[in-house]
Amino acid sequence: MRLRQLRGWLARVAGFFNHENGEREFAEELECHLQMHIEDNIRAGLTPEEARRRAIIKLGGVAQTKENHRRQRGLPVIEILTQDLRYGLRMLAKRPGITLIAVLSLALGIGANTAIFSFVNTIALRPLPVASPDEIVSLRNETGGKVSMAFSYPNYKDFRDRNEVFAALIGYRFAPLSVSHDGINEKLWGYVVTGNYFEALGVGAALGRAISPDDDQHAGAHPVTVLSYKCWQQRFGADPSVIGKSILANGRSFTVIGVAPQGFYGTEFIAAPELWFPISMQGEIEMGNPWLDRRDVELTYVQGRLKTGVSVAQAQAALNSIAVQLEREFPDANEGKRVVVAPPGIMGDAMRGTMIGFAEILMIVVAFALLLACTNLANLLLARAAERRKEIAVRLSLGASRRRVVLQLMAESMLLAVGGGLIGLMLAFWLVRLVVGIKLPIDFPLQIDLHIDYRVLLFTCLVSLATGVLFGLLPALQTTKVDLISALKDERSTGGSRRSWLKNGLIVLQVTLSLVLLVGGGLMLRALERAQAINLGFDPQSVIELTFDLRLQGYDNDRGREFQKRLLDRVRTLPGVESAGVVDLTPVDLHFGRSPVFIEGQTPERIINAPRAMANRTSPGYLQAMKTRLIDGRDFSERDDENSPRVALVNEEFARRFWPGENPLGKRFSQGSPQSPLMEVVGVIEDGMYATLSIDPQPYFCRPILQAYSGSTTLVARADSDPQKLLAVIRNETQQFDPRMPITSRLLIEKMSMPLMPTRIAASILGGFGLLALALAAIGIYGVMSQAVSRRTHEIGVRMALGAQSSDVLRLTMRRGVMLTLVGVVIGLSASLALTQLMKRFLFGVSATDPVTYAVVAALLAAVAIVACYLPAWRATKIDPIRALRYE
Amino acid sequence: MSDKSDVWQGTLALMVLKTLESMGSLHGYGIARRIEQTSGERLSINYGTLYPSLLKLEQEGYISSEWGTSDNNRKAKYYKLTRAGRRQLARATRSWEQTTEILARFFAPAQES
Repeated sequence: MRLRQLRGWLARVAGFFNHENGEREFAEELECHLQMHIEDNIRAGLTPEEARRRAIIKLGGVAQTKENHRRQRGLPVIEILTQDLRYGLRMLAKRPGITLIAVLSLALGIGANTAIFSFVNTIALRPLPVASPDEIVSLRNETGGKVSMAFSYPNYKDFRDRNEVFAALIGYRFAPLSVSHDGINEKLWGYVVTGNYFEALGVGAALGRAISPDDDQHAGAHPVTVLSYKCWQQRFGADPSVIGKSILANGRSFTVIGVAPQGFYGTEFIAAPELWFPISMQGEIEMGNPWLDRRDVELTYVQGRLKTGVSVAQAQAALNSIAVQLEREFPDANEGKRVVVAPPGIMGDAMRGTMIGFAEILMIVVAFALLLACTNLANLLLARAAERRKEIAVRLSLGASRRRVVLQLMAESMLLAVGGGLIGLMLAFWLVRLVVGIKLPIDFPLQIDLHIDYRVLLFTCLVSLATGVLFGLLPALQTTKVDLISALKDERSTGGSRRSWLKNGLIVLQVTLSLVLLVGGGLMLRALERAQAINLGFDPQSVIELTFDLRLQGYDNDRGREFQKRLLDRVRTLPGVESAGVVDLTPVDLHFGRSPVFIEGQTPERIINAPRAMANRTSPGYLQAMKTRLIDGRDFSERDDENSPRVALVNEEFARRFWPGENPLGKRFSQGSPQSPLMEVVGVIEDGMYATLSIDPQPYFCRPILQAYSGSTTLVARADSDPQKLLAVIRNETQQFDPRMPITSRLLIEKMSMPLMPTRIAASILGGFGLLALALAAIGIYGVMSQAVSRRTHEIGVRMALGAQSSDVLRLTMRRGVMLTLVGVVIGLSASLALTQLMKRFLFGVSATDPVTYAVVAALLAAVAIVACYLPAWRATKIDPIRALRYE
Repeated sequence: MSDKSDVWQGTLALMVLKTLESMGSLHGYGIARRIEQTSGERLSINYGTLYPSLLKLEQEGYISSEWGTSDNNRKAKYYKLTRAGRRQLARATRSWEQTTEILARFFAPAQES
């Protein structure tokens, strides 16, 4: 029986494709049937006309019979569907302008959502490029609520050797590299990794071999390296003979033992190293700063592969019982330290918060943009449906089922949605290409490896379909709920609030959306304005900077110092240089770190409880070059060198915080540990910005670079005329000092755009969509009001004939629009209060509830809405009662 | 016409099969007429409903069709039973007899013994 039904279906599928043939054949069969019947009837004695008439009656209507036969022959569902789609296309083509607007606004919404989703997909959803990525977790080091990503190496080893819950625990660290090979010098980033790294991740080698535990036995004894696939392709021309080759990294020779597989970029989503080294070589890679034996230096990132069947909670509990042991054994370094087990993938706290925060805002904005496009679509469909009210009523009264008509109306919205989805996808491809192409002015191998994978495609499909169904279904349902009689009589529907709830709802929604978006955009603008006013503590205009690392280039401290001094002397004599200095870090550098400081006479009980301050090292002349004001005391001089007493400059906040109400000059403190030599404060400088723009002043100090040598060097020079030209000159000059040294150079002002970038992008996106929403809302209100007025022409005419004044008419007609606007504004204000909390990070101290922004935006919206209401209402007052009464 | 009973779908298929079994090969009009005659003109078939029913039987493989020529030299489509159709007819006949027998017992005067 089942088989028979299947056979029947197959026959129908065949019939579906053989439509023409079946149609013709059945027409012949029916014709023959009729003829036979007629002949019979004639034989029975009827006249030919009567015979024919009776035969046709008996057959029951040729068209209907054919239709029944057709239905049995093919697949009616699909036939109806293709019919509906064809009809929908025709209807859409009839009004190309409106269709284009609907498709494009949908495309914009869907495209923006797809692009942002691909970003979220990259930082949160895509699995790591390792074997069984779901078993990999990242460990975080928590001390009294503060979370850091890094552990001390001895602690890592203890966790690794004592735990029972991990199949493997790996440690790694980012390392800046100065690499020379084949006569090329490059500044690259690499990882130092524990010997079990590749094995634990289940990653082999595309060529040669990966780093193994054998390469991690004795400190300094394993000069080997593994290249990333991309590095091999781009820098070594994909030459297989690279295996066994020697390259110079940070002044030391390493043998290339392997190339990592294509697509393996380590275990972070947004950063990709180019070389891997055994962590046993850490002392050589980070010359002069070995930390593998130090429990008080926390630089090792730790990830683990959970044993099968071990849950995250179990792993965390097990690790914390080890943490308690470690706390007991090494209280100085480990007091209060606990472990949090977290999903892997995003490094560094600084990055993480910003990226996620920014992604959150973008997600909400694009969701709103899509919603906006949808309200636009729904409005279009409603208007279209109103035009077709009569046609639909005719079809319903002729016996079409409501379902059938709804489906047909939906075919149209689905077409729009699919069109919007396709164009949106193209838009997303383009946006993603654009974003990937952006080179951020930061010294870090940031990789935002966006691509459109199947997850993104699925997302786009779902969004488009949901859009089409939801925003097509509502208008379709509403349209088919017509009062047949009045619709057929071509009466204007006398309204009724129930029928227009959808229209009202759309207007409220549009007002709400535009309010939220405009408030967001307004806050961002205020933030930008506020950021301009933040005191930088220096003047970035006309300042150029050159960055290089002498330590990585193999210079020891004496030679490095000599290099810096000679270079500085040379640069100062160059024409066009107003002033110059060398410094460890310049503003907005990601490496800016906080060092524990120990104020003389204020030593805390434990080292880890020491207060922290931003630390830097400067040469004489740096303050002038940056135009940083010296408030009190003196700048460093050439005499503040190794042989003279230790000195330091502090900023006002440092002085305020640690010596409140006292004169900081002559006070002493040490950096890093209480045993370090004490430094005497010789000068106080103005507060400023260091790692990033911030409203709260940060404590900051600097030491003379002559006393506290730093191999990582930035040369800063202030140009008196054309900085761009000077940049080339100085770069050239510096390269002559060491032809093999990688140098990065730029104008300081370029780098300064970084901290404001998220705010600036958000301001333009929010503002742009906000204005679009405002325009759509105004058009929506205007449309609804005009319709209402023309529907009530008769009523208004009667009222005026009975003596109503134009002010009464105005009040009457405007009431609805004003009410809707008010409802939208109230909902929008409360939604804004909730949503703008997310933006706090980017607001530079502007309150997320800034009353000025809220008031201005609400007033703007109300004004626009009232104008949109007023125009139709004003027209209503011009109605001539006599004409109005005659109408109908 | 009102005194004639309409034919419902399931039984129409059965009648078609039975008719084809007894008549061999026959065209649509002939099948319809034959059913009416067999019923002693008590059944009235809306000819329009006959054709979808024939098509369904053919799609399921119980009958087959081919174009032929009628007695008075008219081109017509002839239907005939297939082997599967014969089996299906036997099955349907059995089940029909069973049903009528059961119903008959319900309507027969009580035969208490």
